[in-house]
Amino acid sequence: MRYQRGLSLVELLVAFMILTLVITISLTAFVERNRRLQQASETILAYQALANEAEYRRRMTFASLETQPVEFVSDVAILEPLKPFNTIVAVQEVQPGVKNVLMTIRWKEGQRQAKLELLRADTGGSNLW
Amino acid sequence: MRTERRAAGYTLLEMVFALAIFGLICTVLFVLTAEMRFAEKHLPINMHKNPQVIAVLARLRRDVLDAASRQPYEKTYGVYTSSDKVLIVETMMASGGQQTVIWDFRTPGEVRRRAYNVGVVADDWVTRGLPVDFSNLEIDAVRTGTASAWATRITAKDENGRIAIDTILQPRATE
Repeated sequence: MRYQRGLSLVELLVAFMILTLVITISLTAFVERNRRLQQASETILAYQALANEAEYRRRMTFASLETQPVEFVSDVAILEPLKPFNTIVAVQEVQPGVKNVLMTIRWKEGQRQAKLELLRADTGGSNLW
Repeated sequence: MRTERRAAGYTLLEMVFALAIFGLICTVLFVLTAEMRFAEKHLPINMHKNPQVIAVLARLRRDVLDAASRQPYEKTYGVYTSSDKVLIVETMMASGGQQTVIWDFRTPGEVRRRAYNVGVVADDWVTRGLPVDFSNLEIDAVRTGTASAWATRITAKDENGRIAIDTILQPRATE
């Protein structure tokens, strides 16, 4: 007599557990990769906005830098996917005739941020550098 | 002698266990991919991953930053007329001379940069294989300051209308 039996519940459960483990590990790696790609995409958007804002802040008169809006004056439509976000501009005179303009974008409730510093010198003429 | 063969299926308990584990797998899949689906829905295509796009923007940036005068943009040059797909800019050469550069974005998937030196084509550069969405690129003029020269603003949207590129290029040479 030949005895043919199927899989027991324990065998089935063990097989399922191994399958779950393999799927979870590979999926976690895949998701982590995508998360980093997403962060890179967000950072690229943020730095484009920062670079554009820097172009505006370069051209403000040196004396008026502290009295300018503390939020970005440039168009920030590119940051739409990061909503809700906030933009901050802080100006500090690091030494006579030199001011540090720090531009910051914060998103994901402050968990992520991108910063760009612009050093402005009082050249007396051009507002560029 | 007659052999009695028992052919039983799974019990209800076994089925419940199996379905519970399957449900667990589905839940894990759903949770882990939630962030991915959110990003796909909200973020634009990252065009900066494409080396051709980087090359185009880098060359264009140099041309505009090295613009030869405060009003370096021409309305027409030869057969070209400036538009949201065509940029005509007078720029400085390394030798100190000037040349007229035409950036032509009118052909989908292709960008052409043609430089003229006193009416003669000095350089003709074409790049292909650009992302299809890059053809949605628009050239605009903006003022970044009351006393500054007009800047060039480059924007490109992906197929869902999300802005993927927004770059302001401000002429530097005459500042």
